Amino acid sequence: MNPLFQGILAQPANFNNALQYATLAPSSDIESAISTYEQLLFYNPSLASVRFELGVLYYRLGSYEMARSYFASALTMKDLTPALRRRSEDLIADIDKKLQPDQFSGYVQSGFRYQTNAALGPAAGTALASGKLFNNTFAARPDGNWFGAFGLNYVHDFEQQNGNTFEASAVGYDAQQFKLHQFDIGVMELRAGPRFGIISDTVTGLSIKPYFVATGATLADAAYYGGLGGGLTARIKLGDVVLDPYTEIVQQSFRNLTLYPLASGMSGTLSTVGLQASGPVYASLGFQSRVTYAHADANFNPFGYNAYAGDIWLPWNFSPLGDGRTWTLTPTAGVSWWQYNAPDPTIDPNTTPNILEWRLGLGLEVPIWKLVYLGMLAQYRADVSNVSAFSMHDFSVTAGPTMRF
Amino acid sequence: MRSSRRFTVALVSALLAAAPAFAQQVGTATAVNPLSESTPPGGTTAPLVVGAHIVHKEKVHTTPAGTVQLLFTDKSSMSIAPNTDIVIDEYVYDPNANSGHMLVSLTTGALRFVGGQLSHQGEATITTSAANIGIRGGTVTVIQGPGGTKVINVAGIIKIVNGTGTFLLTRSDFGALIQGWNTVIQDLGRIPTAEVAYHQAHTTSTLGEDGGVPGFTGANIGHCGLGSVQGTNCPQVPWMPSDNGALDASQILGNATNFGAAQITAPAIAPPPRLPPCGTRC
Repeated sequence: MNPLFQGILAQPANFNNALQYATLAPSSDIESAISTYEQLLFYNPSLASVRFELGVLYYRLGSYEMARSYFASALTMKDLTPALRRRSEDLIADIDKKLQPDQFSGYVQSGFRYQTNAALGPAAGTALASGKLFNNTFAARPDGNWFGAFGLNYVHDFEQQNGNTFEASAVGYDAQQFKLHQFDIGVMELRAGPRFGIISDTVTGLSIKPYFVATGATLADAAYYGGLGGGLTARIKLGDVVLDPYTEIVQQSFRNLTLYPLASGMSGTLSTVGLQASGPVYASLGFQSRVTYAHADANFNPFGYNAYAGDIWLPWNFSPLGDGRTWTLTPTAGVSWWQYNAPDPTIDPNTTPNILEWRLGLGLEVPIWKLVYLGMLAQYRADVSNVSAFSMHDFSVTAGPTMRF
Repeated sequence: MRSSRRFTVALVSALLAAAPAFAQQVGTATAVNPLSESTPPGGTTAPLVVGAHIVHKEKVHTTPAGTVQLLFTDKSSMSIAPNTDIVIDEYVYDPNANSGHMLVSLTTGALRFVGGQLSHQGEATITTSAANIGIRGGTVTVIQGPGGTKVINVAGIIKIVNGTGTFLLTRSDFGALIQGWNTVIQDLGRIPTAEVAYHQAHTTSTLGEDGGVPGFTGANIGHCGLGSVQGTNCPQVPWMPSDNGALDASQILGNATNFGAAQITAPAIAPPPRLPPCGTRC
């Protein structure tokens, strides 16, 4: 038995021992910490920090109303510090959102982006194995753009014991190039579906969700791509880690444009299986990750592929000014492998292309005012292929205000 | 003779009083606000004090001003509201095997049970006149009054059984009402925030009380609000990557450049074939 715990049983009035036990309780043993902080609260119910800590622990257990009760009572204590007030108010605002039947969250971002290779194409003058030259209109050239982006999540909670909800999300992105307008691009994606909770007497946090997905994209300011499909995802909670395996089928339709006359050859069915996961790593460092396998059929067989991809985000929250306002530094990394179906006769009639892509990034969000942050992101992407026309690299820097809600 | 008889009576009384001390300790009273009392099996009712051993079959009673926290050897705890009567009916815990079971009856009043090893194995049960409340991996508030038993799930899985059947409370902050052993268990849905706050406030000290341990004036708890690095326990406000749209756009654009575009420049004009100096006549 833990000697500190034995000490509490033998001499509960030794509150220094109890405090040490509570602060050293492993993150997997939230209830032990709760019992001990509630013991300390008995000894002095006027301490904001003890109430705040209990709020934090109940929040982590998922009892948002108990957490709110403790945060709200912390705000009424005389010894409340400004930093503790800010954190308490932030968490109460977050809880109040969670307790609403209709919950909205997301971000809106706008700003400027500079890329060393706006085309994401190979170097100018790249010779093709077919003996021809790559069209320099699509070759690597630097350019800047203005962009706007948003992400919106909506959850309707039916307030039922089984946790049934209806969920919808939308992601949008639009970039207007300063010079190279053939790369102006806009993307919008919608997903929606009901989530069904699964009640069990041994496990909590299980659910499944069928959903539909619709995607549209413009390129060079013309309608270019449409996708329509559906999928099935499950949610499994393992402690603080949330797993979302999914499978999805989308019918893709590409439209030929003057500058992109071969695009319709990519039309076909895209089938994906994947796993998204998120959770804490250590202290205020968290992770979000996604691994996928995709199989694309294409009207023109050489454009079809099998692809494996993985991405990870590691958001780290910190408060360098000590005022309770949270900055977020997010290293990101991703890797993809595409294996295409057959050689493309116009590029290299003898080689079936494959591409290995690396993505590295570093993002920083600095709080400016209330929900507004300054978002900055530096990214490097490199494609290495056995076909020279598909090899490229790009470095980009993005900056602009971001509102999170 | 008279003094010898007086000594014998005193000795027997002392032995009787001491008898409960030989019973196996199952927990400790870690905080006590007056007036709370306990009655060990075979013993007399006495005011409960901080550090008192709690034993099997012990009864605990709080007066209108009394609140108590009990800590059990399996790390579970109970915060007991005023005007509450409970009995530790059964408690078996083997710390080496991490197994056992506990059964506590709540006659009247309210308590919050915070789970330990036994509840993690689904081996903790609170009984009332209306239901048996099994707790798995969780924390629960139970209120027993004239209208029956109200159960509020704080966290975990709460299995309520009575004469009419079984009801599972699996969602935090949701509750159920059981008016009697033969009354259908009623789903109360989400319990209002104010009611949760009320029960939280009534299972601890009020301002000015010290739970029987004076002098705790605070400590530097390394938690979320302080310092530049947030602690392990800090809940993080949900964060979503803001570059998902850009990633999608990047993939579409990359494929467009690779495959959709007219990648090939107009064929260069081939130079005329070089004829041998002697022309076609060679």
